[in-house]
Amino acid sequence: MIKLYLGLPFALAALLASPAAAQQPGTPSAAVVAIPPMTTPDTGTKGNESLGLAWQATQVIESDLRSTSELMALKSDQKDYYSYPEVTAPTFPKWRAAGAKALVMGFIQQRADGRLTFGCYIYDVGKGRELGRAGFVVGRDDWRRAAHKCSGLAYTSITGAPGIFDTRIAYIAESGAGDSKIRRVAIMDSDGYSHHYLTAGDTMVLTPRLSPKAARVAYVSFLGGKPNVRILDVESGEQRPLVPGVSTSFAPRFSPDGQRIAFSMMLGSNTDVYVIGANGASPQRLTTSPGIDTDPSFSPDGNRIVFESDRSGSQQLYIMDADGSNERRLTFGGGRYAAPDWSPDGEWIAFTRLGSDGRRIGIIKADGSGEKILTAGPSDEGPSWAVSSRELVFQRTDPTGRNRLYRVTIDGEDPRRIEVPQDGADPDWSGVMD
Amino acid sequence: MRWAALLLPALLCGSSGGAQPRPAPPVLVGIDALRADFGAKSGTDTVYFGSGSAILGAPAKAVLAAQAQWLLMHPEVAVRIEGYADSNDTRDHALAMGAKRAEEVRDFLVLMGVPAEQLTAMSWGKERYGVGRAVTVLAR
Repeated sequence: MIKLYLGLPFALAALLASPAAAQQPGTPSAAVVAIPPMTTPDTGTKGNESLGLAWQATQVIESDLRSTSELMALKSDQKDYYSYPEVTAPTFPKWRAAGAKALVMGFIQQRADGRLTFGCYIYDVGKGRELGRAGFVVGRDDWRRAAHKCSGLAYTSITGAPGIFDTRIAYIAESGAGDSKIRRVAIMDSDGYSHHYLTAGDTMVLTPRLSPKAARVAYVSFLGGKPNVRILDVESGEQRPLVPGVSTSFAPRFSPDGQRIAFSMMLGSNTDVYVIGANGASPQRLTTSPGIDTDPSFSPDGNRIVFESDRSGSQQLYIMDADGSNERRLTFGGGRYAAPDWSPDGEWIAFTRLGSDGRRIGIIKADGSGEKILTAGPSDEGPSWAVSSRELVFQRTDPTGRNRLYRVTIDGEDPRRIEVPQDGADPDWSGVMD
Repeated sequence: MRWAALLLPALLCGSSGGAQPRPAPPVLVGIDALRADFGAKSGTDTVYFGSGSAILGAPAKAVLAAQAQWLLMHPEVAVRIEGYADSNDTRDHALAMGAKRAEEVRDFLVLMGVPAEQLTAMSWGKERYGVGRAVTVLAR
């Protein structure tokens, strides 16, 4: 949808050159970022139009960066207008004086074919040098995504971690209550825009899981009377059962390359973990224990799978190779551990912990060390990582039984509620889109 | 806390394997009347499991034995066994637990001689709970 543009009117050679190395990740305090209003080379009426769009894009970037705990965006001010040539020659002393560590600049230019050229430049103010740049050509309606891409570039250039701005969240939108509750698979940009429904609400649906680039969603449908995994194409709306004619299947999750899906299937009264090619083929059974083995999640290299099993008598997390070999137990901390999700950077495994204090979200390193509980509960569940590996989205059930979506950072800040049109359950956060 | 696996009789549509259609009564007996008779003869449509368990206790087995007797006399009735889990469980484990409970009930009824074709088992996980709700679902 968005293509890297290789023909910026100036600085083409520089654009193609690799950007300067990013700063070291993991800065302890938030880095202050200045985002003066983006500019345009367009003139006349067109120029005013482009400047209007540029200002909106600037505000999207500001809002994106404000939503992180690593970056502190200064308020954009239209008085800080700069000219087109200044995009590649910022006045660093001005921003140094304003306390900014980093600077985001850019422009929007209208093309003859009706599309827009979007240029994005990130600078280290202290050192007075460029950290990164990117150019995109987008349709007029896609300027928000270009802005998100620019936010992502800023975030990655400054922190070293992938930005979460051009990502999507799928979840179950709920209306009504009790057994007459209507549930639909919903999808939106991670900032809440472009919200729409993917299923009609006539069938109970659960646990949507996005493919890495958010092009497909695997979810559980009760169509046909039993829970069954279905695969849905987000763009076309076409869908099909993952394993046709099978009894009960659930808990799907894509592999990081999107080629495989791990899921749970029942044979008799036994639930095991299986894996199947995302385009069909026959499922391969990975676990054989008589207990309930479910909620598989791939490691980022696709070579291992973390899953939940109650084979020991209570739900615990286990790790195995992706072919089902080398199973070992991960959690020994007391209480029950469920619904694991492996972080995109491979370091952490998020889980739902069930104890006498209710259900809470926590993380543990893949070697079993460093366990940390992130939320207070008492009815939290289903964590899903942001691509940054620094933040999770999860479901919290309030005392009246209504489900809400929340996000929480791994630094232990208070969870923040994600506003959606209706109640929300089972959130799943995608990787960065194409 | 207790969990339920509900037995819900529904009129069989068309033929069911080798069972011969029975004479007169069913023509006049609606699904509600069948349910009432089923409830009266077998005591209840619900059996309970211990926390986190899908093992049938003695009381549950007694209920199911009575249900099996009734079902053997009504081969024209198809039954859907719905398994439920606790709302405190996590979503996917609850789906598996509900299914496991429903399968345990189904297996026991088959053991009691009820033809397997007469029985289907499914799970509502923790998405629906409360005894009696499923009866409403099948009132159509």
